[in-house]
Amino acid sequence: MTDINITEDQRDCYQELSNVAMGQAADRLARLLDAYVVLPIPKVNMIESSELDMAIQDAEKDTAVSAVCQGFIGSGIAGEALLLFKDTSFQDLAALMNYQGPLNRYGELELLMDVSSVLIGACVHGIGEQLEIHFNQGHPVVLGQHCMAEDILRSGNHQWTKTLAIEIHYTLEHVNIDCDLLLLFTEDSVVKLNKVIDYLLD
Amino acid sequence: MATNVLICDDSSFARKQMKRALPEGWDVEVHFAGDGVEGVEAIRAGKGEVVFLDLTMPNLDGYGVLEAIRREDLPAMVIVVSGDIQPDAQERVRKLGAMAFIKKPIDQEKARAVLTEYGILTGA
Repeated sequence: MTDINITEDQRDCYQELSNVAMGQAADRLARLLDAYVVLPIPKVNMIESSELDMAIQDAEKDTAVSAVCQGFIGSGIAGEALLLFKDTSFQDLAALMNYQGPLNRYGELELLMDVSSVLIGACVHGIGEQLEIHFNQGHPVVLGQHCMAEDILRSGNHQWTKTLAIEIHYTLEHVNIDCDLLLLFTEDSVVKLNKVIDYLLD
Repeated sequence: MATNVLICDDSSFARKQMKRALPEGWDVEVHFAGDGVEGVEAIRAGKGEVVFLDLTMPNLDGYGVLEAIRREDLPAMVIVVSGDIQPDAQERVRKLGAMAFIKKPIDQEKARAVLTEYGILTGA
C-alpha cells in the first residue's frame, strides 16, 4: 500500500476546517453551560493507529478520564470521534448543568453523554457542512470511566494502520472543565478527503 | 485611490478564502499577515486601513492585535472574521474596538453585507 500522507497546504486546510467546526461546537457548549469556552489551535497529524497517544500532549496522558467514542460515515468517508473527558471536570460540569442527582458513576455517565453529544455532534456536522458531506453518526460507545487516557488510546482495535488525527483541546474559562476531542479518519477516507481538500484549495 | 486591505490569519487557506470573498470591483490593494505580530506591523505601515482579523492565532492573537491598535491609536477599521462564534467572543472584540464580526466560513455575501453596512464599500 502506498504511504498516505498530507501536504502542508492540506494540513493547513484541515486545520482551518477544524477551527470552524470546533468553534460551532464550542458555541453550542457555551450556550448549554453559560460559560466561555477557550479555543485552542487544532492539531492535525497523520499518525499510526498504534500510536494514537501521540495525538495528545504528554501532560494529558496519565490523567484519569472517562471516554466516549462515536463513529460517523458519509460519502465514502468514515471516521471516529473520541472524547476524553477529565474526571476532575465532573464536579464543575454538574454544577453548570444544574445536575441534582448524586455524582456517582451513573451520574457522571449521564453528564458525559450530554457533553459528548453536543461536542461530537456539532464538530462532525461542522466539518461535514464545509465539505458538503452529510455524516451519519453511529451510536456513542463508552470506552471507559476513570481510566488513564493513554490506556484508552492504546486499547483501540482499529482496522486501519494510519489515521488522520485532529485534536481539539477544550477548556472552559474560570471553571475546571477540560476535555480532548479527537477526530480520527480511516486511511481510505484520507485519500478521498484529500481530493475534496484539493478542490477547496484550488 | 485603492484602499489598503489587510487579511490577518494564520491559515493560508483562510487567507485565500478571505481574498476570494472580497467584493468584485472594490478598488483595493490586498496585504497579508500570518499572525498578530505581522498584522500589527502591517497596520503600523499603513497597510491596514481595513483589516480582516482572525482571533485564534499563534504569537499574538486577534485580541492582542485589537489591544495594540487601541494602545497605539492606529488608523484601522477592523472586521473580525472568526470561527469562535460564542456570544462572549463577539462582545469582547466589540469592546476592544472591532467594528464588526463575521462568522467563518466567510463568503462574498457576508463580506459585502458588512462592508456595505458600514459604508466602506461605496459604488462597487
